[in-house]
Amino acid sequence: MTVLLLAGLLATVVVAYVLHPVVAGRWAPMEREVDELTEAQHRKRVALLALRDVEYDYHAGKLDDADYRKQKSQLSLEALTALDEEAGEWRTRFDASAHELGEREERARREEVEAEIAALRASIREGTVCTQCATPNPLESRYCGECGSALPGRERARRGT
Amino acid sequence: MIPALGEFALWIALPIALWGCALAFLGGRWLRGDLILSAERSTYAVFGLLFVASAGLIVAFMGDRFDYWYVYNYSSTNLHPFFKFSGLWAGQRGSLLFWALNLSFFSVLAVWLNRRRNRELMPYANGVLLAVTSFFIIITLFVTPPFEQLGFTPSDGRGLNPQLQNYWMTIHPPTLYLGFTAFTVPFAFAIAALLSGRLDARWIEGTRRWVLTSWFFLTLGIIFGMRWAYEELGWGGYWFWDPVENASLLPWLVATAFVHSIMIQENRGMLKVWNMGLVVLTFLMTIFATFLTRSGLIESVHSFAQNLTIAWIFLGFLGVVGTLSLGLIFWRLPLLHSERQFESLLSREAAFLLNNLVLLGAAFAVTWGTMFPLITEGLIGSRVAVGPPFFNQVNIPIGLVLLALMGIGPVIAWRKASARNLKRNFLLPTALGLAVGTVLYVAGVRHHYAWLTFTIGTFVLTIIVIEFWKGTRARARIEAENHFTAFIHLVRRNRRRWGGYIVHVGVVIMFMGFAGSAFDREARESLIPGESMSIVSAFGHEYTLTYQGLSTHQDPNMWRVIALMSIQRDGVEVGTMTTERQMVVAPPQPITEVGIRSTLFEDLYVILSTLDEQVGMGNEPQHQRATFQVLVNPLVPWIWYGGLIVAAGTLVALWPGAGVPTRIPAPGAGSGTAPGAERRREEASRPERAADPAAPVG
Amino acid sequence: MSRDRRFFAGLVGVAAIVTYLVWTGISDTMVYYMTPSELVSRAEANPALLEQGVKVSGNVVPGSYQSRADELLHTFVVEDPDDPAVQLTVEFRHPLPDTFTDEAEVVMEGRYLAEGVFQATEVLTKCGSRYEAMPEEGDYSSASGGVSG
Repeated sequence: MTVLLLAGLLATVVVAYVLHPVVAGRWAPMEREVDELTEAQHRKRVALLALRDVEYDYHAGKLDDADYRKQKSQLSLEALTALDEEAGEWRTRFDASAHELGEREERARREEVEAEIAALRASIREGTVCTQCATPNPLESRYCGECGSALPGRERARRGT
Repeated sequence: MIPALGEFALWIALPIALWGCALAFLGGRWLRGDLILSAERSTYAVFGLLFVASAGLIVAFMGDRFDYWYVYNYSSTNLHPFFKFSGLWAGQRGSLLFWALNLSFFSVLAVWLNRRRNRELMPYANGVLLAVTSFFIIITLFVTPPFEQLGFTPSDGRGLNPQLQNYWMTIHPPTLYLGFTAFTVPFAFAIAALLSGRLDARWIEGTRRWVLTSWFFLTLGIIFGMRWAYEELGWGGYWFWDPVENASLLPWLVATAFVHSIMIQENRGMLKVWNMGLVVLTFLMTIFATFLTRSGLIESVHSFAQNLTIAWIFLGFLGVVGTLSLGLIFWRLPLLHSERQFESLLSREAAFLLNNLVLLGAAFAVTWGTMFPLITEGLIGSRVAVGPPFFNQVNIPIGLVLLALMGIGPVIAWRKASARNLKRNFLLPTALGLAVGTVLYVAGVRHHYAWLTFTIGTFVLTIIVIEFWKGTRARARIEAENHFTAFIHLVRRNRRRWGGYIVHVGVVIMFMGFAGSAFDREARESLIPGESMSIVSAFGHEYTLTYQGLSTHQDPNMWRVIALMSIQRDGVEVGTMTTERQMVVAPPQPITEVGIRSTLFEDLYVILSTLDEQVGMGNEPQHQRATFQVLVNPLVPWIWYGGLIVAAGTLVALWPGAGVPTRIPAPGAGSGTAPGAERRREEASRPERAADPAAPVG
Repeated sequence: MSRDRRFFAGLVGVAAIVTYLVWTGISDTMVYYMTPSELVSRAEANPALLEQGVKVSGNVVPGSYQSRADELLHTFVVEDPDDPAVQLTVEFRHPLPDTFTDEAEVVMEGRYLAEGVFQATEVLTKCGSRYEAMPEEGDYSSASGGVSG
């Protein structure tokens, strides 16, 4: 008897729990989360990580100077392309929602981000991408803004190798 | 009462799982969040129900409910509670339920961890997980019912096979099962990516940890099994290439290939089709392994008239899953094109690809050898078997190639390595390897494969140590840290790379341990108390064993006959050891409990092999005559130490917060402002997304 | 294109090597698996079989087991399950598996010495009735049996 009662209870609870969303119209989240990468962001990340590996391989003496320079410029180009795409993605989204902001704020924000993009482009071009965590850093940094490691790539850039 | 409830729970788990499976796919297709939520709740509910069912079975074991067929056959009143508990996975019926429980546990984890992430993939992934779970619930319910009742209540059970009453044997199957089932999650993500067409890198991101988790458990499970065989089977070996062992090795081989090739896709955007194939193949192999161990198909060919229903069901499942997956991959081929080409044969990509081919080759050889009796019986009508010599002959060369690749991989650069640098990097390791090789040759090592293993192994270890040293030194210099801190930070910054190297160190040490078996020494003698025998190990130590006498003990479920030996090593008394034969009461069966005395470099392994008929008749020495088989197994302990290192390395690579950033801060100029910028941009775009909850974003 | 072809060649090369290893491995190590009556009749027809290793399965004749600890020799008689008239006397010099009994069903590897004597290098026992899908293989087998993985 108790068994039947418990079994009935179990079945009822489970069925109610499973059916509830359909009956009550509750939805699971359908969107991508804020910190998930978009396609362009992902491509940029891969390129930056590859840049990190090239730096590492070069430091560890696994790459020739010539190969290093060739690969670095190639990967920087890939990273820049991805960055442009990402900026494009952002502009599209921003334009779609810009009407909610005041005109001044909209312009201010747009300029701010465009400046950031420009700085990032510069950092990729000049090789101040952190060799430890692949964060692109501004030109004048001596330490990585993300992880605090020193930026060896910068020294070399200054020496002009 | 609780067992009855457990059985009931198992019955309602099936419709819930099927319901959830259907809703997940429909919800994904129609973008209906309510259906998707209901499906996710089904996953949680199925886990709860399977948990109740398993608990019911365990309660039945604990309460000696011998009216259940399964309890009656795998337990007895005097069985230790620990083994009663593990009765859940002691036999076929319970273990398939246990498989479903494990899978459903991982499904819950996967669904919960992704309740707000990877939303485009999750409905399909959840659907696949529930489909596989349903399959196992169906088998459990209709083919191998664990709750089947006898209709009467025997006074005692038939007991658990004494060879399975061993600590390692208790944790070995669950560990393997965790490895098998964890791999269902990457498979589900892969299928979800194929179905949804979102074949960018996200499904790989989402599954990387799962793959490593699965690999971790598979590796541990296999090592536990070896340890069990070594301690319990009493013949001095740890691996016999028997079908069941091979079954656990197959998914490991393919999963290892996948762990490596996935890095090429992540870093270089290549090999997408290949990786899809490997995910599917690994998953099929986990099912195949379960099937081989659980159906008794291979054994049945030899002498058993088994019920082959379960074999056909599993084969059908494998066929359907394999065909559907291949169809999906073929359908999505246009989306799976490679982003780049191979640039050079002298690159890490090429080394990884070679590693993949070699691992798959090993998997192919093992499959072929395992299935060979079946194949020949089907083709030519007479059974032809291949044994351990076949597997060794094929797999040792393959293993040596893999070993060498472990050394070459780290030093060779991505894309294109320059030959000149390679030469420079290989110089010291090659020299050291050859130096060790020469020393070994002079010391009298003439076994080709063993010599190669030690030489190549030294080469690989040197390379890895140099890698660590270079990284640490560079970091210590740049950061002005002491070397220890620098080392820790180095590993933390790129856990996957350095964790992987640690795994390689462990594997090299294990390989050397395997090679040690070429130098096993064996002696067999029949002694009466007071007599001694001696044996010289491969390292030149002479062990003298003096037989002191026998004693008998009665434990609740067994008689034990214990032989006491005193041991001298190179003439120095080093202590005593015992080796036993046990006569188990239920089920009546003798078992050998070997004595093992382990040092860092070798094991002294003593088997009490034969007792004179008159043992126990009297105390005179001539009535205590016994035959001892003594082995000295060099380097066997290295297998276990190497295994520990492998596990530690995997954990380093797996630990959350790994050094590879999951996300590069988007356009960010100033230090630390980058994430802020990202956040602002997301806020700016939020109103648009909120307008239509169903709209897929990204 | 030529680069792709080179990789393709590498792929084929590895596949060929593995196939070669498997092929030679099988031809070097395969053994025929027979019943006692098959073994006896084939050995009569083809004496070359006497030189070759074979695998034989059969039932131990109850009461036939003898062991002499001082000589380290086990002997027992195995009969064909389908034709009890065909019997082999088995000699074995290693420890027997724990599951070996007078009534066991055994699988042996070794050489047939003619005259009904079989010299075994390996003896496995099967007792499938108790643990489904789990023959007890002892001794030189690992028998990680039905319960492993």
